[in-house]
Amino acid sequence: MIRCEHLTKVYNGVPAVDDLCLDIPEGEIFGLLGPNGAGKSTTILMVIGLIEPTSGACYIDGTEVATNPIEVKRKIGYMPEDVGFYATLTAEENLEYSAKLYGMDGATRRKRIPDLLSLVGLEGVTKVVGGYSKGMRQRLGIAKALINEPKAVILDEPTANLDPQGVADYRRIIRETAENGTTVLVSSHILSEVSKVCTSAGILSHGKLVASGRWEDLARAGGSGHVIIRVETKAPMPEFSHPSLISAEYADGHRAARLVAETDICDAVAEAAGPAGIRRLERDEPDLEDVFLSYYHEEATS
Amino acid sequence: MRTGVLGTIAGKEFRDHVRSRRFRTLTAILAIIAVTALIDGAFAYQQNLDQYNEAQAVASSEDGGGMGGYSSFKPSVLMAFERMGYLLSTIGAVLGIAMGFDLITAEKESKSLKILLSHPVYRDEVITSKAMGGVAAIALAMGVVFLLSLAVLLISGVVPDVEEMVRIIIFGLISFLFVFSFFAIALFMSTVAKNSGNALIGSLAILIIVGVFFPSFFGNAAMTHAIFGAPPESPQMGGVISFNDAECEQMWNEYREKSVRYQMALHGYYDLTALLSPTKNYMQMAMAVADPRDTAAIVSGAMFQDWDETQEFYADLPDSGLAILAGMLGSLVKNIVALLVFPAAFFGLAWVRFVREDIR
Repeated sequence: MIRCEHLTKVYNGVPAVDDLCLDIPEGEIFGLLGPNGAGKSTTILMVIGLIEPTSGACYIDGTEVATNPIEVKRKIGYMPEDVGFYATLTAEENLEYSAKLYGMDGATRRKRIPDLLSLVGLEGVTKVVGGYSKGMRQRLGIAKALINEPKAVILDEPTANLDPQGVADYRRIIRETAENGTTVLVSSHILSEVSKVCTSAGILSHGKLVASGRWEDLARAGGSGHVIIRVETKAPMPEFSHPSLISAEYADGHRAARLVAETDICDAVAEAAGPAGIRRLERDEPDLEDVFLSYYHEEATS
Repeated sequence: MRTGVLGTIAGKEFRDHVRSRRFRTLTAILAIIAVTALIDGAFAYQQNLDQYNEAQAVASSEDGGGMGGYSSFKPSVLMAFERMGYLLSTIGAVLGIAMGFDLITAEKESKSLKILLSHPVYRDEVITSKAMGGVAAIALAMGVVFLLSLAVLLISGVVPDVEEMVRIIIFGLISFLFVFSFFAIALFMSTVAKNSGNALIGSLAILIIVGVFFPSFFGNAAMTHAIFGAPPESPQMGGVISFNDAECEQMWNEYREKSVRYQMALHGYYDLTALLSPTKNYMQMAMAVADPRDTAAIVSGAMFQDWDETQEFYADLPDSGLAILAGMLGSLVKNIVALLVFPAAFFGLAWVRFVREDIR
């Protein structure tokens, strides 16, 4: 449904997106992950046709974005990261305007708009959008992204300003949307959020797609070879040194440490920390954050 | 471009303008200034009319049979609008700028531009319809002001005839084009500036350059002296008084010819440089519509001749101001073109800039 072929965008000689190839099938909830400045928003802006790629192409449902922008925009719903509406209009008026731009007739608008406002929890709110909190604007942004019953929904940092109830509502809406066959592309740097709602993900680092696939595959591939060891001692422990040690984080006055190593170095740690009186020593499975950080680090070191 | 999209965006823009406090305040200021100028103008018109009637009375008596020329023409209601035009040349420019300087920057600042452009709309449709909404709001403001002005005239007991009504409408159209020029400048600045504050400052800077700097730069004495030299000296100024009558007359005739040529060249220069300034150009056009007799005398050079020839020229002009205006159309074409080209150029620049911009 959403396909990018060798997508590249260069600003002042620096590639913001570098030879990105991506294929998101219909009905998938795909998370585009990456730290700030990785090129997520630039990718999305090219996918929706707001910026022109330096080279490469994007396709939505088989239609090329750059050459058929209007046809593509009819098929997509988009919510930007810093979602903004007309401050002097109410939510209903903003959606009414949006619906008119999609060429929806009056009867459809009258049915669709209250349904969407109810879906995002803004029914009965009569004040103008200028008086909305960021979270309310984000809810309205989700409603706007769905107004044209799009084939693909593209959301840039959708939960950035939502409260817990808002996040729960957002997850429910996105899952229901995908169940109806709509493809959802979510861009975020919040890994936990993406992992809870997306069925697959791609990891962007310095404009390059460094990994993509289903969650289990990504975790398996990204986690292989790394061992996490947690150790707590009664007295301050010495700083560890081992050829396999990748990183070490100390806390509580060197009475607690989190070590990441290439191999299992539990024995060496026990020996070194023994004089300080070991209270706890255990090997952890790497969590998602570690897995994805490893992708970023791999890309940075390469 | 699709009319449905144009109508939707332009309609929203128009409603936004009309609902805004800025629009209402500026329209009120414009109306107050226009009405004040018109009351003043109507009073002056009544005075001139009284003088004209007195002159007619004297002319019809045996003693005053020699009265003629300029003073024998009935003053026009349009002289009241000449004063209004002078005031419009400043407040009209401000109105145009105020309506256009944040058309695009406000969308960027409220973060609604990305949302707007994610709809199935072309960017040229967006900027064109935004301009249409702004222009419609300007037309509404000016329409209200002109209707109010007309009402003031009627209340003052001044009833324009059909010929004067046509000229009032032409005056309104020219004024509208003038305001539109500055609206287009502000719209362009709105597409290039990062925020509304910068767009406003940029628009005001252009207003100062084309409205104040150009006229004073091209019109200052040092500049005209450098281009055309000093004006011809009259024969008396040389201190020679020993010529006989024939020589003296010849010298005076030569001086007069030189002087007319000099004044005509100077006028042509002023006329040409005025095209660079919508403000100056508008004032010339407004004067041509409001006072076609004097404008015709200046354009033809009759104004620079001696008194008798000037009066003869005035006497030969048709009674209808509209007919005089039509007669001058050939020399006013460049002004009309400039009044159209200026906003078109800036709107074109705004259009190109907005259509090619990466929205990030």
